[in-house]
Amino acid sequence: MTNSKTLLSKLLGSPTKKAVLIGLFSFLGLVDASYLAAKHYTETIPPCAIVKGCEVVTTSQYATIGLPAVEGGISVALLGAIYYLIVLIISIAIIDTKSDRLKKFLARFSVIGLLASIWFISLQLFVIKALCLYCLVSAFSSTAIFITAFFLKKDTSVR
Amino acid sequence: MKNKITLWAIIAVVVIGSIFGIIKLASKSQTPDSGALALTVSAINDNENIKGDKEALATLIEYSDFQCPACGSYYPILKKVSEDLGAKVRFAYRHFPLPQHKNAKLAATVAEAAGSQGKFWEMHDLIFQNQSDWSEEKNAAILFAKYAQELGLDLARFQTDIASDEIKAKIENDYKSGVKAGVNSTPSFFLNGKKINNPRNYDEFKNAIEQALGQSN
Repeated sequence: MTNSKTLLSKLLGSPTKKAVLIGLFSFLGLVDASYLAAKHYTETIPPCAIVKGCEVVTTSQYATIGLPAVEGGISVALLGAIYYLIVLIISIAIIDTKSDRLKKFLARFSVIGLLASIWFISLQLFVIKALCLYCLVSAFSSTAIFITAFFLKKDTSVR
Repeated sequence: MKNKITLWAIIAVVVIGSIFGIIKLASKSQTPDSGALALTVSAINDNENIKGDKEALATLIEYSDFQCPACGSYYPILKKVSEDLGAKVRFAYRHFPLPQHKNAKLAATVAEAAGSQGKFWEMHDLIFQNQSDWSEEKNAAILFAKYAQELGLDLARFQTDIASDEIKAKIENDYKSGVKAGVNSTPSFFLNGKKINNPRNYDEFKNAIEQALGQSN
């Protein structure tokens, strides 16, 4: 087990390489989530389509988080975009400063994305019963960020 | 130091550029143009749920699903349009309950049952106004019965009508006529028999109808 872990860690490369990878994954997630968020806010009223897929997911009640102050709620895609932007900035800061504290923080922070992805995929599988490709891409990138950030933290001396 | 600034600057430019591009891409209209092959829809008959002047010059047919959030968002827009232009336009509501909305068919049946007591539009309004209350409800029928009571319907007759084959057939007919006309999402609007791209707001709706009125004058 430990051997395979160190192997994976080595495969992912040096700490800087890992940070670059996290940067790339978060960039992918950022582009993906911004696309969904932009669609959400520019199509004033997205219609409900007969074909099961993204429309069903993105027009469902789970696509927004209700806030009394915001009409129509906040799109979860927008929250996703903000999350990926923060991860991207942290990963570049790690490349820049090589700070161990930031690495540790990122490993903890990336749990949010992982949990959110698990939540959204389960909603799609068991409640909405339709899968949206954009959401799967997002789930992939947040999982990849979490795994890479975990191994990046292992490289640090901070415990 | 210079390297650092360059790194951050390049990344900032790439990120801002990509987001800008993505937003432009996403805001392109997704509604397919009816194009050369204009989609047409079957004409209105007397049996249908019609609001507004029967002799009106313009006819707007809506294919709608009571449980579809988009139809719910259009409801206040359409209500205002029909109040403002009611004398010039007749509005028809046709059922297009989508399979993924488990209470949509029941809601359509309830509206028709109210319609057989002359209160289709009143029930239509109540159903849309309370969309979020009943949409995911397992026992939506209880809520619907409450609305029927609110409207002062004959409840025994209402319950019999809900189970009637006639109403089922009517909804099925509406659905089939929609499929025939190429409806694949709700709401879909047909103005004077031709499919129009969904107007984005009240003003766009009013303009589209006024344009149609201008043409038929």
